[in-house]
Amino acid sequence: MRNSFIYTILGTALLLGTACEKEITPDLGGNDSRYVVEGVLTDEAGGCSVKISRTKDFYSDNSFDGVSGAIVKIYHGTDTTVLAETSTGVYTAPELTGSSGNTYGMTVNIAGEVITATSIMPSKVNMDSLYITKEEVFGDTQNQPTVQFQDPAGVANYYRFTLYVNDYKSTNIYVRNDDLTDGNLVNANLFSFDSEEGDPDYVDSGDQITVEMMNIDPFVYKYFFSLSQSATGENQSASPANPVSNLKGNALGYFSAHTIQRKTITVP
Amino acid sequence: MKPCLMLMTILLLSLNTIAQQKYTISGTIKSKAKGETLIGATVRVSSGGGTTTNEYGFYSLTLPQGRHKLEISSMGLQSNFLELNLRRDTVINLFLDDESVSLSGVTITGNSTRRSLSTPQMGLEKLTTKEMKNVPVLLGEKDAIKVIQLLPGIKSAGDGNAGMFVRGGAADQNLILLDEAPVYNASHLLGFFSTFNSDAIKDIAVYKGGMPAQYGGRLSSVLDIKMNDGNNQDFNVSGGVGLISAKLNVEGPIQKDKSSFLITGRRTYADMFLKLSNDSSLNNNSLYFYDLNAKLNYELGSKDKLYLSGYLGKDNLGVGDLFGLKWGNTTGTLRWNHIFSNKLFSNTSLIYSNYDYTISINSSTTQADIYSKIRDYNLKQEFQWYAGSNHNVRFGLNSIYHTITPGQVTTPETSELNSRTLEDRLSWENAIYASDSWKMSDNLSVTYGLRASAFSILGKGDFYNVDADGNVTDTLHYKSGEFVKTYVNLEPRLALSYKLNTYSSVKGSYVRNTQNLHLISNSTSSSPTDKWVASTNIIKPEISDQFSVGYYRDLWNADYELTVETYYKTMQNQIDYRDGADVNTVSNAIEAQLLFGKGRAYGIEWLFKKRVGRLNGWVSYTLSKTERKIDGINYNKWYNARQDRTHDIAIVAVYQLNKKWTLSANWIYYTGDAVTYPAGKYQIDGQTVYYYRGRNSHRMPNYHRLDLGATKQLKQHKRWSSELAFSLYNAYGRENAYIVQFKDSDDDPNKTVAVQTALFKFIPSISYNFKF
Repeated sequence: MRNSFIYTILGTALLLGTACEKEITPDLGGNDSRYVVEGVLTDEAGGCSVKISRTKDFYSDNSFDGVSGAIVKIYHGTDTTVLAETSTGVYTAPELTGSSGNTYGMTVNIAGEVITATSIMPSKVNMDSLYITKEEVFGDTQNQPTVQFQDPAGVANYYRFTLYVNDYKSTNIYVRNDDLTDGNLVNANLFSFDSEEGDPDYVDSGDQITVEMMNIDPFVYKYFFSLSQSATGENQSASPANPVSNLKGNALGYFSAHTIQRKTITVP
Repeated sequence: MKPCLMLMTILLLSLNTIAQQKYTISGTIKSKAKGETLIGATVRVSSGGGTTTNEYGFYSLTLPQGRHKLEISSMGLQSNFLELNLRRDTVINLFLDDESVSLSGVTITGNSTRRSLSTPQMGLEKLTTKEMKNVPVLLGEKDAIKVIQLLPGIKSAGDGNAGMFVRGGAADQNLILLDEAPVYNASHLLGFFSTFNSDAIKDIAVYKGGMPAQYGGRLSSVLDIKMNDGNNQDFNVSGGVGLISAKLNVEGPIQKDKSSFLITGRRTYADMFLKLSNDSSLNNNSLYFYDLNAKLNYELGSKDKLYLSGYLGKDNLGVGDLFGLKWGNTTGTLRWNHIFSNKLFSNTSLIYSNYDYTISINSSTTQADIYSKIRDYNLKQEFQWYAGSNHNVRFGLNSIYHTITPGQVTTPETSELNSRTLEDRLSWENAIYASDSWKMSDNLSVTYGLRASAFSILGKGDFYNVDADGNVTDTLHYKSGEFVKTYVNLEPRLALSYKLNTYSSVKGSYVRNTQNLHLISNSTSSSPTDKWVASTNIIKPEISDQFSVGYYRDLWNADYELTVETYYKTMQNQIDYRDGADVNTVSNAIEAQLLFGKGRAYGIEWLFKKRVGRLNGWVSYTLSKTERKIDGINYNKWYNARQDRTHDIAIVAVYQLNKKWTLSANWIYYTGDAVTYPAGKYQIDGQTVYYYRGRNSHRMPNYHRLDLGATKQLKQHKRWSSELAFSLYNAYGRENAYIVQFKDSDDDPNKTVAVQTALFKFIPSISYNFKF
């Protein structure tokens, strides 16, 4: 709601033609070169990976700055798998999959610096369908990818979606809980307030779109929710902050054991 | 209760016993042209001493038997002189004439109220409608709040923001009163306009420090706005047509000299232009506000007067049918003035105040209305006792019943969202107070007082215990009418002034304020949907202590005034959101999303003002620091508050060129707000995420802007006069940053850029105002 309000102000100013944008280069200070760990385990083979990198200077390029030579393990009870470094900073175990209801742990040891986390893989809620909703926004008819699913009643569910438009992964973060939709047939709109024609994530007729639907645990939901609120650089939170992490140890990032499903359609 | 009784005792003891036979002159002072009661009009006795009228134009002055010369004066009106031989208690009601026009039509006497050197009140800024009339403003819409923000220590929240920051306080720490009714959201149209229609306003006073004991409930300031009573001499219609709005003001007598009415309305019509557009991205949207002020007053007899005043304002903002946001304030005040004796004045007020908003979402998959409100029923009783020639005592009580509806989600049957009602939060706020302004000698005056406030949180409802990590550990159920908790606070108020000579004085003050209603906002810009929450078992009352010292000097025959004030303020129980707080979908336990800490603010303010002459105006400069320390934020160290601005400068000049033309200009400069920019970046799930270090350790670009204005008086007829007002906002087109966004470059996705957006460059406007 907050952002939609600000977008309304900005949108109005832009429409009236009074607003103007320009690039600036403020002094941002040092980046601390902190460790970043992104650990993922899914219910599919090939879905397990742990990526380790460092924070970079804002004015440097966006390339992944991988950290080599770490010892990375994922375990469930006494069942431990050591991940292999397949490229710089990327550690995988292609055969490793998880099951709903199990608690998984991750330990990462980077030259003595130990980072740990646990995550519970939630039950899978079936992704019933993916379709396009047409919605009028500022006079422009948007094609909004919509996922339909039946939320199970009486339990807290947390969802995350990723959207690909012709293989381009949208940078919008779509997470939701069932706080107001418990037990309902839900149609989740994956729309973007600021996507314009010409943007790579603009959904147009004839485009092929793919949506991944993930059931995530509450801590991972908190991570992505706080990331979307305050760390994507594009919104107006008065207090941008690092997302609330479920990692223990001196690192940014998260560890998530989640289920994953996907559907692909062509936009009519 | 006890300290208050003690205070009364001290008060009574300190009253001088009467040595010489004394009598009291009392009465009401009004303007002759309109019959409006005059606030703060001065009654000066040639032998020394004097008094000023109160907020209802009443004065009382006790003098020794014998001959006296009195001078009665008020800003912008002709002074009245009278001589009398005082031999008994006397009632003198006076009417002051409009100022005569001299020097080929150019008024060269004062344009603004003279601040008093001898009264202990400090941190007070007064503004007359005359003074703000010529200051250029955005889209030519005269706006008291915007002019106030050009005074030292009072900062605007910036383009597109409604808030106002006083001496380091947050936007919710200002008590905004319209005819005594609290206004919870003082902004229209995304903060570009205030809710106060300048045509309906009689008097504005802003207390930045040294608040008198009759005010309480907010930490940082009191903005006390009094509406016009209405002309009781003659019917009057005035109005204006501008680029985006039109307004009309009608007033007149119900019974000549005795009673009158006033109705003022205003509506913007920018949305009507949008409708004319062929562009469907424009003509489907709504964006307007209207407001209505009305007032009636009625004299029941020479000792009783009734006032009824009301305000209604609504904003409507909509993006097609998809998204809508409506918000508005409603206030109503019924007041009864009663003069018990020539020394005892009483006012009883019954006040209603309501603020609510509705958000409507109506997409093809989601339909919902979210409704929230805060509503007050309020009783005030105040006595002003002119206890002797050197004492002026005020005492009274205030009782407010608050209802807060935090957010009610209503959905149609078919919606996939479930309806939900959060519990109403009920509270009862009570205060008693007493203060005495005591003229100890010709040079030394003191105002001392005490306010005792009690804030009771009432059931029914669930309250929570929360652990250090923000988890709810316990839910406590309370039944309807049960007291959950009562917070009692004593708020001492002390102010001293010492007149060094006829043209300069020093003053000092200490004030404690408490606040039990808190606006929770986690955004850089204020939004109508920010949440008001009352204190709970977890959310403690905010408390501030402010010390301030000032030096006041009149220069060059009092044509110029220099004011220097410095302050140090501490604030307890300040509130901020936890990182990652979910504001919109949380259940009742908002406490679980909050962190608490303290704040401090200090600074020095200079105001150099030229009050009279063809060229008048002021230069204000504030050097200040505002910090907070909250466990869980910024590694538990002190950090800059968002509104911390090191330098803040405003220059305002109004020049009366000739009989027809008045020119004006203002220039503003301030240090960019303290903000949190990313210190670095990294990749998560293939996208750029920013790394943050300390809170608010960066700065927005510095802000500056020049506005120009010109008013042309058109041909005047006997009963008809009109003018054209031109203004140019941001005359040199400075692109002041509204927001700075960090994102992957559109040109090279492998790079990141910082992009600032300014809301507007130049905004010219023209408006036409008339009066008959």
